[in-house]
Amino acid sequence: MTAEEIYQRLQERFGDQILGFNAKAVDPSVRVAAAAIHEVAEYLRHDPQLQFDLLMCLSGVDYGPGKHLEVVYHLFSMSRRHKIVLKVEVPRQGGEVPTVCDIWRTAEWHEREVYDLFGIRFAHHPDLRRILLPDDWEGHPLLKDYQVQEFYHGVRVPYVGDPPQTGLEVYRTQEQEP
Amino acid sequence: MVTQLVAGEYHLSYERQGDDLILQMGPQHPSTHGVLRLELVTDGELIKRITPHIGYLHRCFEKHAEAMTYPQVIPYVDRMDYVAAMSMELGYVLTVEKLMGLTDLPERLQYIRVIMAEFQRIASHLLAVGTYGLDTGAVTPFLWCFRDREKILDLFEWASGARLLYNYLWIGGVMQDLPPGFAEKAMEFLDYFEPRVKELNDLLSFNQIFIERTANIGVLPPDVAISYGVGGPNLRGSGVRWDLRKEEPYCIYDRFDFDVPVGTGEFGTLGAAWDRYMVRVREMLESIKILRQALDQLPGGDPNEAMPRRVRPPEGDAFMRTESPRGEIGFYIVSDGSEKPLRCKGRSPCFTAISAIDAIGRGGLIADAVAIVGSLDIVLGEIDR
Amino acid sequence: MRQYLLNIWNAFWTVLVGMRLTWRHLFIPAVTVQYPDERWTLPPNSRMQLFVNIDDCIGCRQCERACPVECITIDLIKAVPEDEREASTGHKVRFHVTKFDIDMAKCCYCNLCTIPCPTECIYMTPSYEDAAPDRFDLIYHFAKIPPEKIPELEEKARRFEEEEAAKKTKKKAAVAAN
Ligand code: SF4
Ligand code: SF4
Repeated sequence: MTAEEIYQRLQERFGDQILGFNAKAVDPSVRVAAAAIHEVAEYLRHDPQLQFDLLMCLSGVDYGPGKHLEVVYHLFSMSRRHKIVLKVEVPRQGGEVPTVCDIWRTAEWHEREVYDLFGIRFAHHPDLRRILLPDDWEGHPLLKDYQVQEFYHGVRVPYVGDPPQTGLEVYRTQEQEP
Repeated sequence: MVTQLVAGEYHLSYERQGDDLILQMGPQHPSTHGVLRLELVTDGELIKRITPHIGYLHRCFEKHAEAMTYPQVIPYVDRMDYVAAMSMELGYVLTVEKLMGLTDLPERLQYIRVIMAEFQRIASHLLAVGTYGLDTGAVTPFLWCFRDREKILDLFEWASGARLLYNYLWIGGVMQDLPPGFAEKAMEFLDYFEPRVKELNDLLSFNQIFIERTANIGVLPPDVAISYGVGGPNLRGSGVRWDLRKEEPYCIYDRFDFDVPVGTGEFGTLGAAWDRYMVRVREMLESIKILRQALDQLPGGDPNEAMPRRVRPPEGDAFMRTESPRGEIGFYIVSDGSEKPLRCKGRSPCFTAISAIDAIGRGGLIADAVAIVGSLDIVLGEIDR
Repeated sequence: MRQYLLNIWNAFWTVLVGMRLTWRHLFIPAVTVQYPDERWTLPPNSRMQLFVNIDDCIGCRQCERACPVECITIDLIKAVPEDEREASTGHKVRFHVTKFDIDMAKCCYCNLCTIPCPTECIYMTPSYEDAAPDRFDLIYHFAKIPPEKIPELEEKARRFEEEEAAKKTKKKAAVAAN
């Protein structure tokens, strides 16, 4: 099925929850309202004609300060061999998207990663913790306006200052003495 | 909490939680192939739950990529999966080309790409197979595999100048053309290497002890694998005939004649660790087949004819996945029309594979945990990026 | 029972097969290279230490811009016309390169800097035994101009610039007067 047909089916079914369709893009994408993503995903997964059984990629995108964030779902159907891209707009502050990790298990970790790096919360996610960064890290680094925290466990980040005294240097000065 | 030295090699820390015992495996563990911590909740000898903790090797690839121009990202991409750097480069480069609409590429370039990717597949599988032997207690195959892998690295060094992190495949071109005589040398290597696979089979694959150890553990059913997005040899080990080189041919893979080996379950359960291992061994033979054809047909000409001077993709986004030795490596690149990507995400195959570890390892024995993790062939550089 | 015996036999036999292989390998010469005593020849374009032929460097900063890890630092002073010279490739050298440092500790040997250089004066050499006990020893200084000459050159460049500016204003005045 082409992306166009998939979009039409989605629109028939969900009406104004489907916000738009970009057919000219390299990978045609459908814009979906954040609140409806779970139903849309469920429909795409279980409809016998669609059967999107593989979530290829789930990524967050930041379009710069003052603009919105986006969660992008790349879906593929291994049995029907068609693909579609879903895009969900999320506000910069306090955005929340329903999780899809009960539909595709792989989404669990991908959503954790998006939460970790962008701070987008996924509602009903069973285990929404940081995944790549330490639990007590502050801020979400992939945001364009991210500021590195000043201290982490008493260590200045990023490290600036005197070259660290290694034992080696002491050893070398001792060596040079007659 | 009791800390105890086990086997003089690594620490295991025990915590009691009700009747369960929590066992921390890693982060420094000889069999995790990097720094990975597995939290095993055990009940007696059985594993009740596995919680992987990753991120120890996080090097902010995605953040770095946003500050780099497109060609400058390639050295960073190399470092994602440092044992299969060529395949990573290929994935990234193809994505940027897809975004730029760059399709008209010289024949020679296409062949060089396929040759490099397939050699890299053999090298990477050799490492996977060898270290898997090591994980299960066989040291000889490991050394033999490294001996042969070294020969491939020599070929790469000859072509690109570097042994491990090549920065060789560029957007619309390669760093430099293949040196004269490369095809003959490569053929020579293939002739040498083909019998070595049989040796490896005799030594390890069909060794009864190895089979007993691996043929019934870590079973990954196909539907679970797909739901977790596991791809590549791990998926094929479960009996799913799915190879992007066949299903969605990129480069010029549709011109070559090769099979897609899948797990058969001949010595135990379908989708067990042995099947995943064996798919890799058989894939090496298929790669040899592709390489022979590609080296035979390698046309002349200048591979860098169509190389763009400035890489400036139009505004938009593209996702492309290719078959790396560890599965489907995908890159999602968003461009704002400038020289630097707005967002560059690497969708790593090992990331999805390790997320499925709970589904694979649950209910197994503690002693098998090492063999199960090893059979997934993960590279932590790629998981943590 | 039969199966049991068969298993034992199988294990025994497959081990024997492996043993035969390893036995045969006993008589194959070892592939190990005894490194400090023996070394293999490197291919002609292997990428190891960087070297800059500073006489040919025209100070165009292309390499600095191409480097992904910013390990090249270049300081330039504009040369006055009588100090300009020609590089061996025929390019005009219009700058004094007062600082050309490469931090080899940061360098990732990616070769991106050597490609854009117009005079091909920065290149990789096949020498790889450059370990140093201190990481500051890994910053290679290629500039040849001694530091005590820098103020003099700066002064020269400044004076030249002033003269040029004066000439320009004079010309402008002349144009305006006409
Ligand atoms: S080789 Fe790469 S990292 Fe090293 S100086 Fe050149 S551009 Fe920079
Ligand atoms: S690119 Fe070459 S000429 Fe230009 S500054 Fe670098 S070394 Fe000098």
